[in-house]
Order: sequence, then structure tokens, then C-alpha cells
Amino acid sequence: MKARIDWMMVGALLGLIAIGSVAILSAASPLPTYSQIIQKHFLALGLGVLFFLFGLGFNYQIFQDQAKVIYALALALLVVVLLAGVQHKGAKSWLRFGPISFQPSELARVLTILVLGSFLDSRGNKPHRLSTVAGALAISAPVMLLVLAEPDFSSTLPFIPLLITMLFCAGANPIHLVAVTAFGGIAISMPLMWTLLSLRPRWVATSSLAALLFRIKDFNLHLLFTVCAIFLAAYVAWKVLGMARVFLPGPYFAAGALIVAGALCTGVLVNRQLKGYQRNRFVAFLVPEADPKGAAYNVQQAQIAIGSGGLWGKGIFAGTQSQLGFVPERHTDFIYAVIGEEMGFLGSISVVGLYLFLVSRIVHAARVSRDRYGQLVCSGFAGMYAFYMLINIGMCLGFAPVAGVQLPLVSYGGSNLAVTLFAMGIVANVYSRRYAFY
Amino acid sequence: MRQKAAYHDRLDLFWIAFYCAVGVLAVRLVHIQILRNAYFTEVAERNRTQIIYQNAPRGRIYDRNKVELATSRPAFSLIYLPGKNEDGEMLETLAASLAEELHVEKEDTLGTLRDAQRAQTPVHFENLPMKSMLKLSELKTIFPGVDLIVEARRAYPFGASTGHLLGYMGKIDKETMRRYRDRGYRADSWIGKTGLESLFEDSLRGADGEMRMEVDAHGRLKRRLTLEQSSWSPGGDVHLAIDSRIQLAVEEGLRASPSGQGGAVVLDPRNGDVLALASVPDFDPNVFLMPAWRPERDTLKELPEFNNALSGTYAPGSTFKIITAAALLNDGKVQPQEKVFCPGRFQLGDRTFKCWEKKGHKLQDFLAGLTHSCDVYFYQMGLRAGGAAIERYERLFRIGEKTQIALPGEKGGNLFGPLARRARGKDWYEGDTVNLSIGQGELLVTPIQMAVIIAAVANRGTLWRPHFTQRVEYADGSPAYMQRPEVLGRVELNDTTWDLIQRALENVVEEGTGVAAKIPGITVAGKTGTAQNPHGEDNAWFVAYAGREGEVPSVAVSVLIQHGGHGGSAAAPVARRAIEAAFNIARAPVVPRTPNKPTGADALPRVAPQPNPELPLFPVTR
Repeated sequence: MKARIDWMMVGALLGLIAIGSVAILSAASPLPTYSQIIQKHFLALGLGVLFFLFGLGFNYQIFQDQAKVIYALALALLVVVLLAGVQHKGAKSWLRFGPISFQPSELARVLTILVLGSFLDSRGNKPHRLSTVAGALAISAPVMLLVLAEPDFSSTLPFIPLLITMLFCAGANPIHLVAVTAFGGIAISMPLMWTLLSLRPRWVATSSLAALLFRIKDFNLHLLFTVCAIFLAAYVAWKVLGMARVFLPGPYFAAGALIVAGALCTGVLVNRQLKGYQRNRFVAFLVPEADPKGAAYNVQQAQIAIGSGGLWGKGIFAGTQSQLGFVPERHTDFIYAVIGEEMGFLGSISVVGLYLFLVSRIVHAARVSRDRYGQLVCSGFAGMYAFYMLINIGMCLGFAPVAGVQLPLVSYGGSNLAVTLFAMGIVANVYSRRYAFY
Repeated sequence: MRQKAAYHDRLDLFWIAFYCAVGVLAVRLVHIQILRNAYFTEVAERNRTQIIYQNAPRGRIYDRNKVELATSRPAFSLIYLPGKNEDGEMLETLAASLAEELHVEKEDTLGTLRDAQRAQTPVHFENLPMKSMLKLSELKTIFPGVDLIVEARRAYPFGASTGHLLGYMGKIDKETMRRYRDRGYRADSWIGKTGLESLFEDSLRGADGEMRMEVDAHGRLKRRLTLEQSSWSPGGDVHLAIDSRIQLAVEEGLRASPSGQGGAVVLDPRNGDVLALASVPDFDPNVFLMPAWRPERDTLKELPEFNNALSGTYAPGSTFKIITAAALLNDGKVQPQEKVFCPGRFQLGDRTFKCWEKKGHKLQDFLAGLTHSCDVYFYQMGLRAGGAAIERYERLFRIGEKTQIALPGEKGGNLFGPLARRARGKDWYEGDTVNLSIGQGELLVTPIQMAVIIAAVANRGTLWRPHFTQRVEYADGSPAYMQRPEVLGRVELNDTTWDLIQRALENVVEEGTGVAAKIPGITVAGKTGTAQNPHGEDNAWFVAYAGREGEVPSVAVSVLIQHGGHGGSAAAPVARRAIEAAFNIARAPVVPRTPNKPTGADALPRVAPQPNPELPLFPVTR
């Protein structure tokens, strides 16, 4: 008789929460709001356990049946937060109910996964069509835009990996995915490149290509010419290949040109929307030496903290980098640096190992699920949390830019913790009902 | 089911990608946490520690009665540890508050703070006034990184009165820093720049304290988390032969002199101890320790650093008649009873040499001639003895040679005589002999040379090398150096010659030109000098020695007042003050005396510069 509950996953969850709680207790101790933080954390943990049981409690297929209600709920929450939310760190992303405040964008992500799972399952045996990708984008776009409108750039980021993972696992055409990814990639990398070029005026002065690239960063004639040139180049390429007896469908070239040109224009749009601090984060990642006091300083200090932890760590409450405030956002985004410093290599590798194990259990739940819906939902969660972990730890280790992404289950953040446990409850639900069709 | 298997393939692909990414993270963790742990540990340590230096107390300088001439007092300093992320606005408000309290320009302060911020080094505002302590400790609570520490600060209780002797302290300069780096000096170290402070730098300097403080990310000190502390160790003490009472008396006397310019040296003729060494105009070495910004640059320009007592060379005038007298009597060229008629002038060829007494001294023998400083007597007798004989005695008394006092800047003066003249390839004339016999011509001496000479007259022949040190101690009190008397040379004269000269010098004070130095109960012997000089009013000299009646002389004084007029009226009162101080005689009110030489309005004393009333003239004992 196999267990209904995936105790191994529960073990991984408990391990991560335990390490996280200890790290929060230590990291927040010099802060004036220490007792508040601790109270909120354990309150959220208690709520999270209830959410976990709620996610586990009844057949998950009800989420599929009520997808429209869930979608409406997600949109409604985000609209309410835009209207009645509380401003915090420049973003209107909090709903306050008396003493409890809540970040709806956290829940919206999980709800989006449930809705997308329903949509992708309904695509049945035609998932490779372009309409699958388009539909999924159309469903998630309003949610993403509402989050972006708060404006909360870093909360929008995790939508991308969950979309890609779910589409990929649902069997979407990889070419479509590549096209979408290329579009997104170009749209995001153009502002990056312009930021970099503005820091390196010599490149612009000496290289005509750099000068051209730098000139099209605004809606102007240069951009128009460039867009025309892209279409012309695609047409010429098609004709030349045709003459060389390599026959490729014309629409491919048109689509390629369209993607590149569209991404370019989107990039210009994004560039105009980018906030100073967001640009600084990119700069810090690209040219750390150009910004010794800002974001790069934070990443440097986090690495120093982790590196100085050694094998055994400096001991809880004894990390000089964390306790003296060299590590920024030490109990939230950079909690991993605190773990690395105070618990050493053993602590930091444990977190990585537990995460790896947790994701493997989610993937396992996807494999053994009794229907495609459960599988799609689990793969969405796996992609999202894998992305969270890679970005957060990668940021602490200097691999990724500072994206303002938490380490779920470990970082301080009530909404995130409770919602994550809710999601894990759904995964456990999928696992527990696995045998129906076998 | 085939379709489901395809999904599983894709799920596997995702899983493999994630697995690889996690593997990269793990490798990175091993790299920084285990392989590069030592490096990061060091960086983290450097991050959280800030070394703060505390100036150690410098050794004290005592006079012969253990009165402190230079000491260390506790002072407090404000340190500012710049944080990594402080904005310019915060620096500006801090600079404004500091500038107001320290009475300096805000721009200077702001510049200093900005430099510190850029270099991430602590700033040290030293020697802050005690009265601003409360205000400044408020800043500590407002601005992160501001703190107050206690340090040792140099203090000179006698202020300007010991300025020339002790010298002053200043920040080490770049050139010296290069040589002294190995000895524990830092770029902001204080160092003795001149005088005894510079001379005894190695002995006086203590080892600075070092505090390794834990700081947080904003550079704020974590007060209770001093990681390591090596406390300062004070420097060794120097005991001087100087007597602060005499030093003060001489300084006051010099300041009160008609011109307020001059130098004086007081020696112990028994062993060459320098009891006082003074020069005016003087400076107060305390000003260099004031909490103002870069005080040195502004003050140094007009600093009266020239030490008249050592570096000033002047014609000795009539004080030289002592040496002429030795030349006359000792070889029997002149008998003391021989008389010379002084009509007030002396004719040599077509040149007329005047006596300072226009009416003339009439008939003068040796005793009367020296007592009344009759020029005509010395013209005539000098000619009889000859320039070469006088020069021989000049050399015996070491004129033209340094006394080798261990202070920089000493001059040797100028030897004047036929041999010296010939060495320069020029001829000697009779007129030169006439000039030489009364201490004029090209003859130049320093006050300290004259002090050594008059001390030799007092002790009948021993020329001491003047020394101001008694002993130098290590910080624990054990002796590092003991001074012994050193003899420069001996002047061998017949006893009768010494008797005659000494009797004549006693007469000078008793009834002659030097009566201004007469003190009841003390045998004072002296010689005035009024040396003509081409730059203006005559330079006034007075050299003297004194002892209690019936005892050997124990004080020798040499005083020079530049442009002071007559030695008897300008210089002798200074010597009198010194002798009174040496014998602990309460000062009698100064009674203006009629000058022996009627010089008209020029003889009136000028207004003497007043000592700075803000600084204590008298020692503050701890």
C-alpha cells in the first residue's frame, strides 16, 4: 500500500522552512522591527500550513472545472490591489486587512498556473499549433500587465519560466517557443545593451555599429530605417536562398523579420519604462566595477558573506557580514548569503540539495499524476520554483542580476510563504490522487 | 499513452536542465566557500574592522627643579569613519556642524570629509577645545561614524617663554615620513620640528595606541566590540639643566627691554649648565597644537624662529675689553698702575677715535679704565700690546668658534685680528688695532659665546661646552643618557691678572657703568657693552657673573638687546632679573635709572610687546 501523502516532499519542505526560520531569526535580530518580523513569519507559517491542507483537502480537479472563476478571482484581486492597495517600496502591491497585509501578485501566479493548466489540457491533441502559445500568452498577459502596472517588475519575472515550462511540457511547438523567447530576449536585451553603451561612450565613438545601435534607442527615423532594413534583409535572404535552390516557406522569413522588428520596438518601449534602480541592477551585473556602491556592492558583500562562511559557518547570530549590515536585504532577498555565512557550506549546500529534491518530487508528482491537468500544473510549479531558486541563489553567487526575487520557503515574506505552501498542497494533492487510471 | 510518454521526455529535459544548473551552483559554492574561503574571510574581517590610532603621551621635559616645561595633557579628538554609502548632503550638514564648533571654514572641513569618504579612511580632528565637547558628542548621535576619543596632547605651560628652546611640534612632512616610516610614524603623526622637541624626538616619542574597532556597514563604531587593543606607551622624559624661574625672569626682562629684540644666556660657571636660554621676539609653541585647520602654514610665515642667543652675531663692544685686558696684563705689557690721560678723544695719524665720554675720563689707571670703560685707555694700551697679542687672547677665549651647544643654527661669530686678516690676504692697520681693543671692527660674537667667556672669567679659565640636558630617561624611568660637563678649552692666565680683571668687573657693577645690576648681598661682577652697528641704534650688551658673598660665582649671564642703546641701561636690568631669580631674591620694583650715557630721546624705553594673556605664563602643576 503506497502512502497517499508524499512524505519525502513534506520532509524537504520542513527542512527548507526550518533552515529559513533559523536564518530569519538570526538575520533580522539587529533590526528594530525584529519581534514584528518574527511574529509575522510564524503567523504566515501557521496560515501556510492551513493553506497546504486546503490545497490538499479536496480533489484538485475542481480547479480545472472552476478555471473561469479562478481566472476572474485572480484578475479581481489584482484590480482591487491597484485600486485599494497600499504603497510599499514604490509599488502598490499590498492589500491590508487590519493587521494582516497580503501580496495578491503571489497568489495570482499560482492561480495563473491553475488556469493555464486547464487551458492547455483543453488543447487536447493539437498542442503544437501556434494557437496554443498564443492562447497561453493571451490568458497570462492581462495578469502580467496588471502586476506590471503596480508596478512590480520583479513579481512579473517568474511568469516567464512558468509559461515556458508549462507550454514546453504541454507539447507546444519548440519553434513557437523559440520565437516567443527570441522576441522576449531581444526586447529585454536591447535596453540592456543601450544601458551598457551609454556607459561606454568610447565604443559608440569608435564603432559605427555601436553608434547605429545606440542611435535607435528611441522612436526616430533611424529606428524606422532599421525596421525597413530588417524586412528588406529577410526578403533578400528568402530570394537568395530560393535562387540557391534552398526552399523555405516565405512566411518563416516574414515572421522572423516581424519578430526582430517587433522586439526592437518593444525594447524601445521597455527602455523608456525602465526605472533608474532597475537599470542600475543591470549595470551592476554587466559592469560591476562601474557601480561600486550600488547594486554591485550588494552582490559583492553577499559573496563575501558566503565565501567567508567556510565549511562550518561562523555560527548563528555570529556572521559579521550579515549582523553588521554589509549584506543588504538580509532576511528577504539575500537570506541565502546569511545561511552561507552563518551555517557555512553545509548549510548552503543543504538548501540547494533540499531544493533539488523538492523540485524532483514535484516533477515526480507530474509524472505519476492521473491526468494531464495535474501533470501540467505540477510542471508549472516545478518550473516556477526552479526559476526562483536559480535566480535567487545565482544572484547571491554573482551569476544573475539582482532581480528582487525571493527564495521561497526560506526568505522572509508571509504572502510568498503561505502561497508557496498552498501550491505545494496542490502538488501533494496531485500526488495523492495518482492511481485513478493506472 | 504515447503522447504521455512524449510529455515525460520533455519533463525529463526540463529536469536535466535544472539538475545541471544546480550542479553549477554547487561547484560555485565549493569554489567560494571552501577553496577561496581564506580570501573572503580576510575581506570580511577588513570590512568590519577599523583601526583607530591614539596619540601616545610624549615624554615630559622637566627643568632642573622638576617643573614641567613640556608635558602631555589629555585632549579629545573627533574621529569620523566614512560609511560606504553616505550621500553628499549628509557630509555637508556634518561639515557645517563641525566647522561651527571648530571655528574653521566649512569648505575646508567638507573637503577633508570628502577625501576621507573617497579613500574610506578615518578622519581625525585633533585637540578639540574642551568646551565644545558636549556639542560634539551630540553629533555622535546624529551622524553615523562620528565618535570622540581621548588622546594625549602636547602642552607647554610656559608658552612663549620656552618657545625658542623647546621648539614646536607639527605634522610630519612627506620627506621625513619617507625616512621615518619604519619607526612607526604615520602620515598624520606629530613630530618635533625644531628645538629640543626635534633634538630629543626619538626619546620623547611614545608608541601610539591602536584600537581595532568593529564597525557596521555604515561605518558606525560598535562601542562594546573592541576587537583588539594595544594601549599606548608614553615616551621617555628629558630632564634639563634649565631653571624655569631664571628662564621666565630672563624672558620677561628681554620682553620689557627698550627694543624687545635680543637674546640672553645664563650659565652655571661651575659646570656649563645652561640655566636659561632666551630670545625675543619669541613665539608660543602651543599655537601649533590649537585645533585650527593647518595653523602652521599661516603662522610659520611670520614666525620669529630666529634665535638671537645662538644665531645672532653682533660686535661685542666694550664687553670685549675683558679680553683686551687679559692681553694687556697677562704678558706684562701693561702695568695696572700705569695711567693714561683721556681727553675724550684719541688721535691716530689723521683719524680721531672718540671716547664714549665726550668730556673725557681724565687720568685713568687699569682699574678705573675698565670700571668706567674708558675707550681712550684701551686705544692706547691696545696699540702698545699690539693687534696680534689681542688676537692671541681672542683665540684663547675661542672667539670665532662655535660653543657646540647641541642646538641647530648656532653661529661661530667672526674672529678679528692681524692673523685672521692676513689669512684672507688683506693688510692690518693700526686703526684696526684701535677698533679691536674696544670690541669693534669686524669682530662678531653671539650671546652664547659671550656667556661661555664670562663664565670662564668667573671660574678663572674653564671654557665649558654649554649643555641644557641633565639626563634623558627611558619611559620606565631608567636613565638613557646622563650629561657630563665637557670642557672646550682652558684660558691660562696669571692669578694676579684674574684678580685684577675680577676686581675691575666687580667695580663696574659697584660704581661703574653696570650699577643697574647691583644686588645687595650678592657679589655681581659684569661688563657693559654698547656696540655701534651700521643698522641703527647701538646694540646693548651686558655680561656678568654673580655669587653669594664669599662663595664662588654660580651664575654667568650674557644679555644682548638689539638696538637697545646703552648696555648699562638696556641689558643690565635683564641680567639683574636673571641673577635675582637665580638667588631667589624677590623682585624689587624697577626704579628707572638715569642712563649713564646721555642719548636723548632714543634712550626712552619703547613699549614692550605684551605676552599673550590667554596662555598661562606660569606652570600648571598636575
